Amino acid sequence: MSARRRLPAGLLPLLARWELVLILLILVAGAWSAVLSPYFLDAANLFDLTKPYIVIGLMALGLTFVVISGDIDISVASTLALTMVIFAQLWHGGANIGLASVIALAVGTLLGTANGFLVSVLNLPSLAVTLGTLAAYRGLAFVILGGGGVTGFPEAFTRLGFGYVGKSLVPVSLVILLLFGGALALLLHGTRFGRYVYAIGANREAARFSGIPVVRVRILLFALSGFMAAASGLLYAGFFGTARADAAGGALLDVVTAVVLGGVDIFGGLGTIGGVLLALLLVATLRNGMGVANIPGSIQNIVIGVLLLAAILAGNLSRAVRGRTVAAEATTQSRIPVRQ
Amino acid sequence: MTPATRRLSPQALVSLAFRLREGGVLLALIAATLFFALRATNFLTVSNWQDISTDVAMVVVVGVGETMVILTRNIDLSVGSIVGLTAFLSSATLASGRGLPLVIIALVAMAIGAVLGLGNGLLVAWLRIPAIIATLATLSIYRGLLFQVHEVYGSDVFAFQLPHSFLYLASRKVLGVPFLAILALVVAFAGAAALRWTNWGRDFYAVGSNPEAARYHGIPVRRRVLMAFIISGMLAGLGGFMFAARFATVNVVSASGFEFDVITAVVIGGVNVFGGSGTILGVVLGAILVGTFTDGFILMRVSEFWKIAFQGFAILVAITIDALITQQLQEALRRRRRREVLAARDARAPST
Amino acid sequence: MREHARSTSRRIAKLAPIFVIAAVVLAACGSSNTAAGPKKSGFTLFMLPKFIGIAPFDLAHKGAAAYAAEVGDKVNYGGPTKADPQEQVTFINNVIAQKPDAIIISADDPDAVVPALKSASDKGIKTVSFDSDTNPSARVVYASPPSAEAIGKAQVEILGSQIGYQGKFAVLSATATATNQNTWIQFMKDTLKDPKYAGMTLVKVAYGNDDDTKSAQEMQGLLQAYPDLKGVIAPTTVGIAAAARVVSQANKCNVVVTGLGLPNQMREFVNSGCVKKFALWSFEDLGYLSACAAHHVLAGDITGKSGDTFDCGHLGKKTIGANGIVTVGDPLVFTKDNIAQYQF
Repeated sequence: MSARRRLPAGLLPLLARWELVLILLILVAGAWSAVLSPYFLDAANLFDLTKPYIVIGLMALGLTFVVISGDIDISVASTLALTMVIFAQLWHGGANIGLASVIALAVGTLLGTANGFLVSVLNLPSLAVTLGTLAAYRGLAFVILGGGGVTGFPEAFTRLGFGYVGKSLVPVSLVILLLFGGALALLLHGTRFGRYVYAIGANREAARFSGIPVVRVRILLFALSGFMAAASGLLYAGFFGTARADAAGGALLDVVTAVVLGGVDIFGGLGTIGGVLLALLLVATLRNGMGVANIPGSIQNIVIGVLLLAAILAGNLSRAVRGRTVAAEATTQSRIPVRQ
Repeated sequence: MTPATRRLSPQALVSLAFRLREGGVLLALIAATLFFALRATNFLTVSNWQDISTDVAMVVVVGVGETMVILTRNIDLSVGSIVGLTAFLSSATLASGRGLPLVIIALVAMAIGAVLGLGNGLLVAWLRIPAIIATLATLSIYRGLLFQVHEVYGSDVFAFQLPHSFLYLASRKVLGVPFLAILALVVAFAGAAALRWTNWGRDFYAVGSNPEAARYHGIPVRRRVLMAFIISGMLAGLGGFMFAARFATVNVVSASGFEFDVITAVVIGGVNVFGGSGTILGVVLGAILVGTFTDGFILMRVSEFWKIAFQGFAILVAITIDALITQQLQEALRRRRRREVLAARDARAPST
Repeated sequence: MREHARSTSRRIAKLAPIFVIAAVVLAACGSSNTAAGPKKSGFTLFMLPKFIGIAPFDLAHKGAAAYAAEVGDKVNYGGPTKADPQEQVTFINNVIAQKPDAIIISADDPDAVVPALKSASDKGIKTVSFDSDTNPSARVVYASPPSAEAIGKAQVEILGSQIGYQGKFAVLSATATATNQNTWIQFMKDTLKDPKYAGMTLVKVAYGNDDDTKSAQEMQGLLQAYPDLKGVIAPTTVGIAAAARVVSQANKCNVVVTGLGLPNQMREFVNSGCVKKFALWSFEDLGYLSACAAHHVLAGDITGKSGDTFDCGHLGKKTIGANGIVTVGDPLVFTKDNIAQYQF
């Protein structure tokens, strides 16, 4: 991949090292959690610990593409809620559950496309746009469903979010996450489209001059983010068994942490799917470990918040070590990819 | 972005654009008021507006601080947590019965807020963490701190433990205007004055417009950003004090999501999310507009869920208008500059 | 060739999680599971309220811990940070991993918690509910505040007696899904059908979501939207405190505020005369009862059938009624005369 090839020789080992750092951190977190509570090191528990984070994971995967391209999408949780609510109302009103699911995915893609249009065509700052859609989509979810919830989904459906593969301990949702992870990794690391994403993130103007259809790609990335949010909404409904408009209210912190901790540069141009998956596992391990040790949710949030800050600092440090500062990078724009 | 700091003569053009923006909010406000006056019962009563102004007062106070941060091209998502934390500390201190005057409590709340804001500022200005991430993290960290403080304190603070002077602060009125609203106006004036007449205030605009250029001009960018966050924290502390006076009961989830109300008011009021432009007058109008809609919906007995959706769409509309204005402005100035350059060139070397 | 270096690091990244999980699974296989033999005491109970941080649940915890101390059980306590069904489900899953003998839960949403509680039951953990019931299929016994019907009737009567049984009133509730709230409101509406209350009209049910700020705003909205409102029933300790404060600050004490409140929170307003009468029950006793019920379920003494009886320390002998419900006793009514006696 051209972007990485052109970076100084010290970078590739550094990237490989970051993933190894994550693995190390996961082992440390696992050990710490085991010390905190004897209930942690249980096979069933360990597999179960991934279940609630599949939802976070799917959103993080979608967000990764957007962030690598240099934008941000903070409306993912609201997109999840709105698509899930539409899905639930359709099913509740008598629609076939498969059809309702497909419509939900389509709506999610549409909502993402709306974001993409505002950002890419109208050139509005993505933070502001997704701040607005964060509220607009959430509000619409409430308008559609009100304060209550839709329950009683068929077992075949909830199995996707809650159940296991056959009689094993492996959750179905984990398999789904790994499948998506594999497919998206292929898209990002193995196709020309993926290279476009990195190029746009490194230097949007240069990418445009290279002939990359920047406007279209950016819209597609937001559409993907919306699609993934809708997919995670379906699993969410399966896992919790209830569809509510206030779903995933606090998810943003974990999603952003998973992305940033996974090595995705918040300024764009760097990051891997593998890193994000590892970071997700780290966050899940920490949260599960703390939960099983009965540490209250607000303390857990402090830990995750500190982790998020540490992740960015680590990124800054590595950039400084490579002889650049963040400000210089933003203006010198030296990561210009060259086509093969 | 906006050329407010360049001393070119089209300043008149620029300030006209700004005036248009606030004018727009004012027009929207008038339209909304008329709409609700017709459709909602008791909208145009004095007591209703007293209620609205008390709610809006808190948003304005915290909004002034948030404006300063946004002007520098940053954002502060942690203000809700700061308000919650300082609100609890304020009421807990008052409940411990040491008989401290209210002013001292308010000042202490502001001091604590300033320290929390300093934390934000250090993360953003010194450690180079993007503001959205830094304040997303401190939002959780400060909220967790509140949880810990509540645990240590051992229980909620009850109304009967609080001095009457504090409990009824929110309902005291001067000439019919609620005391908290007057406080908000004072803060708004102070903020506007600071932005217009102090060096550091004007520097906020410069930093947000073009940080590099500001640095070359000799503006201490990092210190200014730090100061913006400190002010934001300090005013959030004052907001916390007002919150406690208004609601008396403060618990772990108090003021969750408040940052969103503040940012909505600020963005609708014309402060550009990309930094560099905006006025306090706009923020005040924006806050009143949002408060009007919230109150109007309740009075119209419309489902409260429309409020959140409305806020979202209002933000989208506001930033679209802002972007369009900025683009038009930049185009106009570019055309003018090109004309000047061409004219100068023709004057020097007349074409043969 | 150029793919090699990158794909190696990627392969490591991809495979790593599997290695980690495999390693830990192997380690876990070595750990022993606690064998569950028939016990009569020494149980570990986990009390899971709607959310933590408010006095009623702290009191329930106190009561449960008191009972546990009497019989040699242990009570752990924890819950979500706000009244959120999904947070509660996540919490239940964490609790399951801690392998208590029984869960004592007050549900944010009766149905949302069913799958998680079923998962607990599959693992041998029994569930007893208190305060806000779950779907009966998910629990053995429900330790209930005084009968919902009695509460609903009493609320309407307390309000009616203060407004001369004439006029418009509203209800300021908690969350729209809370079982207990909806049951009480339903009984209130049934009570209104009685000709004695024919002059009273319920104009709106507002939801304060067990959040003080929201409750206060809803109360304000009610006062503005219905200027001829005579009274408000707030059957939630958060809501009634907020409502009382709003009318007190706005000098509108002619609007009668009543409902279910904590003496400590309401003391200020009762002493000032703004609120005359309201009711509640002892949350401490409720917690005590729920731990007692859980203990006896675990010991095999009762199965939740109607007519089952069991002994509950200072609460005496308790009998289970229909649907697995056992009530804690009669409601307490607080007025200016007796509020000084109660310090909770």
